[in-house]
Amino acid sequence: MASDIEPAERDAAPAARAASASAVPAHSTSARDAWYPAGKRDLFILRELVSKDFKLKYRRSVLGVIWSVLNPLLMMLVMSLVFSFFLRYDNIEHYPLYLIVANITWQVFADSTNAGMMSIIDAAPLLKKVRVKKFVFPVEKVLFSLVNFLFSLIAVFVVMLWEGVAPTPTMLLAPVCIVLLMLFCVGLSLLLSALGVFFRDLVHLWGVLLMAWMYATPIFWPVSMIEQVPYHAVRALMYTNPMYNYITFMRDAVIYATLPPIKVIVSCVAWALVSLALGYVVFRTRERRFILFI
Amino acid sequence: MQDTLRLDNGGSVFLGLSSTSVRVGDKVVVTPRFRGVEKEDFLCNYVWNLDGSWEKGDFDSTIEHVGHTIPQYSWEFAPSRPGRYRIAVDIEDAHGRFKGNVERWIIVAGKNGFLRPPVPPADAPTAVLAEDVSMIFNIASEQYNSLKEYFIAAARRELTFKEFRALDHISFEVKRGEAFGLVGTNGSGKSTMLKIIAGVLEPSSGKVSVHGTIAPLIELGAGFDMELTAKENIYLNGALLGYRKDFIDEHFQDIVDFAELDGFMDMPLKNYSSGMVARIAFAIATVTEPDILIVDETLSVGDFLFQQKCERRIKELVESDNVTVLLVSHDISLVERICDRVCWIEKGRMRMIGETDEVCEAYRSLERG
Repeated sequence: MASDIEPAERDAAPAARAASASAVPAHSTSARDAWYPAGKRDLFILRELVSKDFKLKYRRSVLGVIWSVLNPLLMMLVMSLVFSFFLRYDNIEHYPLYLIVANITWQVFADSTNAGMMSIIDAAPLLKKVRVKKFVFPVEKVLFSLVNFLFSLIAVFVVMLWEGVAPTPTMLLAPVCIVLLMLFCVGLSLLLSALGVFFRDLVHLWGVLLMAWMYATPIFWPVSMIEQVPYHAVRALMYTNPMYNYITFMRDAVIYATLPPIKVIVSCVAWALVSLALGYVVFRTRERRFILFI
Repeated sequence: MQDTLRLDNGGSVFLGLSSTSVRVGDKVVVTPRFRGVEKEDFLCNYVWNLDGSWEKGDFDSTIEHVGHTIPQYSWEFAPSRPGRYRIAVDIEDAHGRFKGNVERWIIVAGKNGFLRPPVPPADAPTAVLAEDVSMIFNIASEQYNSLKEYFIAAARRELTFKEFRALDHISFEVKRGEAFGLVGTNGSGKSTMLKIIAGVLEPSSGKVSVHGTIAPLIELGAGFDMELTAKENIYLNGALLGYRKDFIDEHFQDIVDFAELDGFMDMPLKNYSSGMVARIAFAIATVTEPDILIVDETLSVGDFLFQQKCERRIKELVESDNVTVLLVSHDISLVERICDRVCWIEKGRMRMIGETDEVCEAYRSLERG
């Protein structure tokens, strides 16, 4: 046993160590400056993961990143054709713009929650081996959808030119809305990613929920239609809908050059905070058990 | 054959060595230590020889070192060739009657060869401390085919889980600069232990404290994305290991050179062979000196040349004295070559902990039995 070593042997150990150290050339790489301190490390991981997703999304496509701009444009084209010819929503002023602003806002929400929900499950091989802060995975998905969103803003500018809508100072409010929306998405992604680990059924259900949610949100139909809903409770629900609020905020800031109603702004802030708090609490209390379920 | 011999009258002899691993030319002092008896009542016969040479009758340089000593109870020798030496001492009483013998092994490295780190003193700084660690997994004892069945069982409170104890009250301490081995048969809980040390798994009870940065080499290439090129993967993996960006920039060529994959850097990883992936992963993980390097069966992939290279690099890290290496393997020979102390875990329980030769010997006897 190790405890049986005689004192003489212990004394001899450092000498042997010194001998070994002198015989071996000193190592070339210095260790201390190789690592980030904890906080910065997560930032670099986030950056690398976003760039990975971005590269993978457009690898091997001829147009590459142009698709980020082209996609919302084409979607808008199809939707505006469908809805103005069949459903006669073309009485809405600047309908293509009305559509594309709502659509990209919705898309960032749908993309980030969909990907965010799967993020922990997909990162399973990694989480089983390397100690990484788990929150980076859902947050990364939201950041990635933000990158796509920023590219699709170019498409919005194209449509604004086409529609002859001049940029106004109120557009400067749009980033505020985007930040709030990001916080909302981060919270929801944290929540969904944590729940998704334990209840895989959620993964299948979320797609359906998203679809229902999309139709309940005035993306392609006029906001005024909410008033025509006969039940007060349903109307109230549709006005509380966070996505209604974020989209209204965006439209007011970008298209109508007005300040959104104070109710909308308050709702946007409140939803962001509620979602973030809920997501944070659920994620933090559950994350220790992830490893047992992935 | 053992290092301690029990004598008839209750006393014992333990074979003391000044060091169990030295380099060619270094001196080793051999001292039989008598307990409970007067050493003057005994005679000692020293023999030392290179591993395997005894059976062949090949003593060459060793025969002259056979000493028949009466007044001299400590004796030193300087091995002239690298290898594994056996040191045996026959114990005779004052009348020349043979009482038995004690023997120990020492490792002798060549001038620039590798040396197992010595067992550190008790007051050396701690790198990893596992205190009474247990890990319990719940295994559902029944398979529920539908949610309905599940809820019925839940309502009846028949949802039973079988407890599986992957680790059962494991405690050990690894000192800084040590090369510590974890051995055990498949499914014995070694990897679970490593995961707890790496911080991916939390023990059900007990505590593990780790001092310093960890570079895990657990299943090479965790976190690699097969669609990305090797270069992109190096940055991604580096980030996940916590490296700074400028550090990776600086050492990118080192990594490529070590992996010997110059010219393949812009190829997606899916076109790589598993050996090539392993090369890259190993190169990234060991480009710097982590405080603690965790190596888990990683060397089994890759060709033999690369395996040797990996082993050399691990040895380099071990020799640098700053790096603590935790090596998990069921390949006992690798553990024997590198580690100074070994913990043997079997079915979640700690069977043995101690110096490499002792534990490995016991583990080997299990293999044979």
